[in-house]
Amino acid sequence: MLISIVASVALLAYATSLAGALGYLGLETRALAKMFLTLAYNPGLRELTAMAPEAVTAIVWDFRGVDTLYETVVFYMAIIAALAIYRGVPKVGGGGGTGLSLIVRVVTKLLIPMNIAVALSIAVHGHLTPGGGFQAGAALAVISVLLAVVYSFSSYGRVGIDIPKAVTLRSVGLVAIALVVFTPLIYSLVTGAQAYLMQNYVKVDSGFSFPAEVFGQLISGTLIWLNVAEFLAVSFGFCIIFMLLSLREEVIRPALVGEEHGP
Amino acid sequence: MVRVDVTLLLLALFSTVGLVFTYLAVSERDLVRAVIYSAVQSSAYAVMLYLLRAPDIVLVYLPVAVGLYPAALLFLIGKTEKVDGE
Repeated sequence: MLISIVASVALLAYATSLAGALGYLGLETRALAKMFLTLAYNPGLRELTAMAPEAVTAIVWDFRGVDTLYETVVFYMAIIAALAIYRGVPKVGGGGGTGLSLIVRVVTKLLIPMNIAVALSIAVHGHLTPGGGFQAGAALAVISVLLAVVYSFSSYGRVGIDIPKAVTLRSVGLVAIALVVFTPLIYSLVTGAQAYLMQNYVKVDSGFSFPAEVFGQLISGTLIWLNVAEFLAVSFGFCIIFMLLSLREEVIRPALVGEEHGP
Repeated sequence: MVRVDVTLLLLALFSTVGLVFTYLAVSERDLVRAVIYSAVQSSAYAVMLYLLRAPDIVLVYLPVAVGLYPAALLFLIGKTEKVDGE
């Protein structure tokens, strides 16, 4: 076993370094990458740039923004399906349960504020540093798992979150995304000027533009709003899923079985 | 003369760690242990993604693969059986 591991590491290292030397893993930048790197942050080309130093977010929410919009729709549909399956089940929470030992509970209590701070920073700096709405949402959703595992399932009620509240907050995120997407349409209807759905800055034939900077701070137009809205939607979407998964089976079985296949 | 790049060597090392823990996760009969092996494998992959200069993917891969996915599997195991049946 050990010999085979050592041999495979050596073989892989040799093969990859050989491939690198021969140019198969080519280190030169390709034309497409050069284009994105040039246009991600370029105040000189206002009709083409996304004004975001973080090229990945520039691509995800500006250059291929509609693609990301429909990815978000897919995620919502999955959550709606889960809510539909669990319709009619009693409220989450209730029941005793003390969770894990005191040491684990205290350490988790210290970790949760740090987790929230990291998630917020990933969301708000999504247009400047690696990260964005989905990454931040996934980071915050870990808290909902920690609550269930460390403090037992009944803790959701104690921190004041239940499924209707989570659905509301998720919907606020969705409405905010829709608002950013339709703002150019409203502008176009009001002024009669040309504008495109999900438009970020001025285009060759359109004067509409979100502000790239506010009080000297770079916010990259739509990117910061979309990141924060997606953060809200994704984190509470995951939260709904874990609250549904944490329901005790004997409580939800009558609702899940349905009327025609009743006991 | 072939030059061995440190990044590539680390990539090979972590991919092997991932391979070993994938084997352990598949062959383990105790499903809770299998989930933990799978999380270790995911951590190795997260390091690989960082070495491949994809920090955006690392930020989403770490919470999903180490936090949310094992948690979903553990909820599932809690509702069924802890040991893989015949």
